[in-house]
Amino acid sequence: MGDSQYSFSLTTFSPSGKLVQIEHALTAVGSGQTSLGIKASNGVVIATEKKLPSILVDEASVQKIQHLTPNIGVVYSGMGPDFRVLVRKSRKQAEQYNRLYKEPIPVTQLVRETATVMQEFTQSGGVRPFGVSLLVAGYDDKGPQLYQVDPSGSYFSWKASAMGKNVSNAKTFLEKRYTEDMELDDAIHTAILTLKEGFEGEISSKNIEIGKIGADKVFRVLTPAEIDDYLAEVE
Amino acid sequence: MTQSSVDVPAKGGFSFDLCKRNNMLIEKGLKAPSFLKTGTTIVGLIFKDGVILGADTRATEGPIVADKNCEKIHYMAPNIYCCGAGTAADTEAVTDMVSSQLRLHRYQTGRDSRVITALTLLKKHLFSYQGHVSAALVLGGVDITGPHLHTIYPHGSTDTLPFATMGSGSLAAMSVFEAKYKEGLTRDEGIKLVAEAICSGIFNDLGSGSNVDICVITKGNKEYLRNYMEPNPRTYVSSKGYSFTKKTEILRTKITPLMERVEITEVGEAMEE
Repeated sequence: MGDSQYSFSLTTFSPSGKLVQIEHALTAVGSGQTSLGIKASNGVVIATEKKLPSILVDEASVQKIQHLTPNIGVVYSGMGPDFRVLVRKSRKQAEQYNRLYKEPIPVTQLVRETATVMQEFTQSGGVRPFGVSLLVAGYDDKGPQLYQVDPSGSYFSWKASAMGKNVSNAKTFLEKRYTEDMELDDAIHTAILTLKEGFEGEISSKNIEIGKIGADKVFRVLTPAEIDDYLAEVE
Repeated sequence: MTQSSVDVPAKGGFSFDLCKRNNMLIEKGLKAPSFLKTGTTIVGLIFKDGVILGADTRATEGPIVADKNCEKIHYMAPNIYCCGAGTAADTEAVTDMVSSQLRLHRYQTGRDSRVITALTLLKKHLFSYQGHVSAALVLGGVDITGPHLHTIYPHGSTDTLPFATMGSGSLAAMSVFEAKYKEGLTRDEGIKLVAEAICSGIFNDLGSGSNVDICVITKGNKEYLRNYMEPNPRTYVSSKGYSFTKKTEILRTKITPLMERVEITEVGEAMEE
């Protein structure tokens, strides 16, 4: 790796003190499909648009919301392949933690380790930053938690957050609608309404994905039938 | 110029060059390292609806019983369990490691683990350590392709069998299986046979003892019957009670308390964390 022409880090500081590559990575995220997450009093819900490039794509084969552990799930906005790599690394880290400490990994630890990986790719030779922002939803001993992780490696805990194309409208909508004592089902309805705000075309169970985790501490991706039920309730 | 002869290593296979040296050392009085006896009886059999695994619960340190009620049936996956004989640390570490690998694999593939996957991961690991990881395992489970039962030896070889026994009590247990096993056993018949085989190991082998653990795995369900049978209960007190024949005369009674009884009342706030 040392002799290559590109062995220096591509994320070098600009004169104004910014890392231009990370800014561009955030732009890549900003042009990705909208995703959002809401932390309720008794659980967390994450949701995303699932706009496929053509009607010929088998939508059942595309799963944007993934499990990291039985009680932690994640969704992204940005580049799908980068997300795949991060999910794989995170799963391995969660499993290594479990093996070493014989304890399911706390959500904050997993977020921190994933963020560390993302930061490494902004300070290593010959690599580029990840073009995804993640929303990690989990439920552990500290209760329901929602974290956003950016390409720079910074992470924040949110009560409700959105990323991707429609981020400003979605965040404004969430600010208006969010209440501290919201329950999980209310949160799911709010999530659907927020997605509907900026949705191009008809919203249906085939072009959105919803994942939730409740007090049972089991993260689940909702089936299309369940999404249809929630959509009907929202109408 | 002298031509030095170079020793070219033999192409492939094992090199027996050191055998002559080893023989010479033994003649000179060097003691060859001895085998480690696996003080255990572990068994498995396939019955009509799945697999039943059984194990005794004695852990030995040479001639001493280190643990009277240890767990020899290890969890590998929700549908796969593994009995371990040999060095306890080796069996625990190896089954723990492969169980972890299987869980990661399940996340990646989204499917239930197969017994053959566990088998391959275990034998790869054991072979690469050339028998130094002293773990002899009986691996059983039910997956999408049906019920499976395998034995794995410390050097990495495996067998696939309808009924299997391992450990120092394996001969005692195998005699029971060979006499009474038949295909298509029901759950109760299978459990009875496994318990009988383990008991045979417990009572006839010094390295095995204490209780019988049983694990029944069927499609979509598993039952871990810890201490299913306890044929060696510990008796503490004689049921007849104790009686002293000669009555001793009491001259004087004086009771001195060793410690003052102190009453503690909580006042004020608890210490800050």
